[in-house]
Amino acid sequence: MILFSVGRLCLKLAGRDAGRKCVVVEILDDSFVLVDGDVRRKKVNLKHLEPLAQTLELPNNASHEEVKKVFEKMQLPVWDTKKKATPARQKKVKKVHEAPAVEPKEAKKAAKKSKKEAAEPSALAEEKDN
Amino acid sequence: MVRGMYRSRTLRRVKVKAPGGKVHIHYRQRKPQAAKCAYCLKPLAGVPRENAKVMQSLAKTKKRPQRMYGGKLCGNCLKGMLQRKARDEQ
Repeated sequence: MILFSVGRLCLKLAGRDAGRKCVVVEILDDSFVLVDGDVRRKKVNLKHLEPLAQTLELPNNASHEEVKKVFEKMQLPVWDTKKKATPARQKKVKKVHEAPAVEPKEAKKAAKKSKKEAAEPSALAEEKDN
Repeated sequence: MVRGMYRSRTLRRVKVKAPGGKVHIHYRQRKPQAAKCAYCLKPLAGVPRENAKVMQSLAKTKKRPQRMYGGKLCGNCLKGMLQRKARDEQ
């Protein structure tokens, strides 16, 4: 595993980080390494990595902050997940239901009557014209 | 005889069995062609084969893989291209 030694700069070939550069942080297995950099810090199959010529100097088991510093020195972009700002919880305010205002029945009837009276005379007039 | 507009094969035909035992023919819109890789022309996985109306109601993340060139190139072709580019540069 000389190709994928710690500090090797790689290109990610698969997944949603495909096309981004990363660095090997730790060798986990025959076929798996831990990568970080312009990708999510992640366990990755070697089949999904393309080794590049560069190697970076990294401390053993480097944290994301340490990788970030090295990447920024090389002027490479770094993946940073922003934590979503959780808005402060609002206290529940009890709703007060107000009774809807009800029209008295008699007033409604009177309104209907007046509408009918207004409509009828015009209808009669039209018939006469025809 | 059916209506003239149904005699063309623009709409696909679906046989539907009615409760009385009769078989009726329903006319439905055809689905579009499956999305294909621009390089190898193989059908793409992760891209639903639905009519525009259904696609409109889907979330963007459900319409194509979230990979670089997702929905245009298949994973294998992209991998090859990235590898070739990386090796050419060195």
